[in-house]
Amino acid sequence: MIMHFKRQWSVYLWYLVIFIGLIITILPFWWGVAASFKSNSDIFRDLAPINIRAFLPGFSLESYVAIFENDFGRSMLNTFFVSITSVAGGLLINSMAGFAFAQFRFKGDNIIFGFVLLSFAVPADAIAIPLFKMMRQIGWFDTFYALIIPMLANGLIIFLYRQFFLGIPKELIEAARVDGLSWFGVFWRICLPLSVPVTLGAGLLLFVFQWESYLWPLIAAPSPELHLIQVTLGRFSTEYEMVWNQQFAASSIAGFLPLVFIYMFQKQFVSALTGVEQK
Amino acid sequence: MNFFKRQWMVPYLFLAPALIGTIAFKLYPIFIGFWESLIYTSFSGGAEKRIFVWFENYQYLFDDKIFWKSLEITAFLTIIINPLQIAMSLGLALLLMRKSKFIRIIRSLYLLPIGIALPIATIIWGLMLDPNQGLINGLIGVFGIPPQPFLVSENQALWCIIAIATWKGVAFWMLFLLAGLEDIPKQYYEAAEIDGATPFQKFRYVTIPQLKRTILFVFVADTAANFVLMVPMIILTKGGPLQSTNVLIYEGYRSGFYYQDWGRSLSIITILTVITLIVIGLQLLFLSEKNEGIKVK
Repeated sequence: MIMHFKRQWSVYLWYLVIFIGLIITILPFWWGVAASFKSNSDIFRDLAPINIRAFLPGFSLESYVAIFENDFGRSMLNTFFVSITSVAGGLLINSMAGFAFAQFRFKGDNIIFGFVLLSFAVPADAIAIPLFKMMRQIGWFDTFYALIIPMLANGLIIFLYRQFFLGIPKELIEAARVDGLSWFGVFWRICLPLSVPVTLGAGLLLFVFQWESYLWPLIAAPSPELHLIQVTLGRFSTEYEMVWNQQFAASSIAGFLPLVFIYMFQKQFVSALTGVEQK
Repeated sequence: MNFFKRQWMVPYLFLAPALIGTIAFKLYPIFIGFWESLIYTSFSGGAEKRIFVWFENYQYLFDDKIFWKSLEITAFLTIIINPLQIAMSLGLALLLMRKSKFIRIIRSLYLLPIGIALPIATIIWGLMLDPNQGLINGLIGVFGIPPQPFLVSENQALWCIIAIATWKGVAFWMLFLLAGLEDIPKQYYEAAEIDGATPFQKFRYVTIPQLKRTILFVFVADTAANFVLMVPMIILTKGGPLQSTNVLIYEGYRSGFYYQDWGRSLSIITILTVITLIVIGLQLLFLSEKNEGIKVK
């Protein structure tokens, strides 16, 4: 009886802790989305003094209309363009490199692989300033090239593909070679079509990296015509400091898409990140 | 014949695009950064003049109070934020290992901050922490706590940034720990239970040793990530108030982009890179030493 009571008590405690944690996790989303559908004065009215209406969504679309008049659509299109190009290019070159590491033994392979692993230990923000100087020297500063090309090669994605390609039976590849398929044919027609799960995970990672990048687009492409979504958001929060509902609306739109993708492909995303196959 | 001669090139051709990209845009900038930190750029008479000055930029830095203050803040942030995030991620991962009817949905909800970019999280939290009309001051007011200045206070701003980064980061690092926890064979726990182990003993003698590699990875990766944390500073505090959030990476960014002092900027970045490598090296050294004798997968 006492045992039973103790177990009950720990379950309640667990629910309590989980519940408090959930409130802290969700509160910013909830409040932000709710406030994005209000006029600015309504947001302030609900906060001072605070009342339950602060957590209920309004019905106004004024903030959404206003941000699209402020060139938000342009930065969304830019971000789509940059993300999709980066995903396509990144998947191609990194899967090719992964294929080389998995299928061939060649001179210097271990050293080169070591460099690849080293490269994904280098934090992108630490090399942003020298990379920025480099872009100015080669004339890519303030162009789409600067936003896309330096982000293509990615050690993590190479590593993911290598691990996957290592698992493809050698006999399959040898048989294809005997049948006269070129190495590129083996890669393109046999290995790549087999790698759908890892491609989904890797593609999602590349997409999210680009969609969420802020510092690099901020310094590498300052022209408004090249602004990406996070840069525009940052600008909203400094230039239109008191226009809260627009900041909420822009954040809601920018946050929505990656969330949808991550939830749709949660399994692939988690296993791509952690390297553990999800059950 | 010709065909066989060319075979050795095949792997290099497959490798070339990604390898060139990695070297040109990930590794080479590190060297450029160091090299440029030895150069002083002056703008006298409108023309840009570059002079090679050896370590003079570093010398100036070491005589500079702002630099030392910035180093101090970085050290403080590092010591607080990394253990905090690891402890909270581990705690959360353990909580989410429990079986419950709702565990799938609870886990999904806890993963929400991963899908939100740091600039967005920063902006929303910035509004929540607004000293005049923010939600948090409204909420604590219900409990009779007077409004706090948060990001505009010298004493609270860094803590607010720690809170924002932790809110955003915990779920991400928890993901790795959760995967690690699920990898521990159930039999280990069953065996411990048969031996009459208490929950704490199971945690201490089964979970921790089994999870050690994952924890080490998360600790190192988290430390590296937090050394370059500066989005909240760029968007919210600009290093202030009174330099209280002026971490090294932000000071480096500001020296370059606000004051065009690239020598100083890249000297700071180089110092930060060296510090990062040393700290990560020490972590690897100390934490993996005791790893011997533990089953390595």
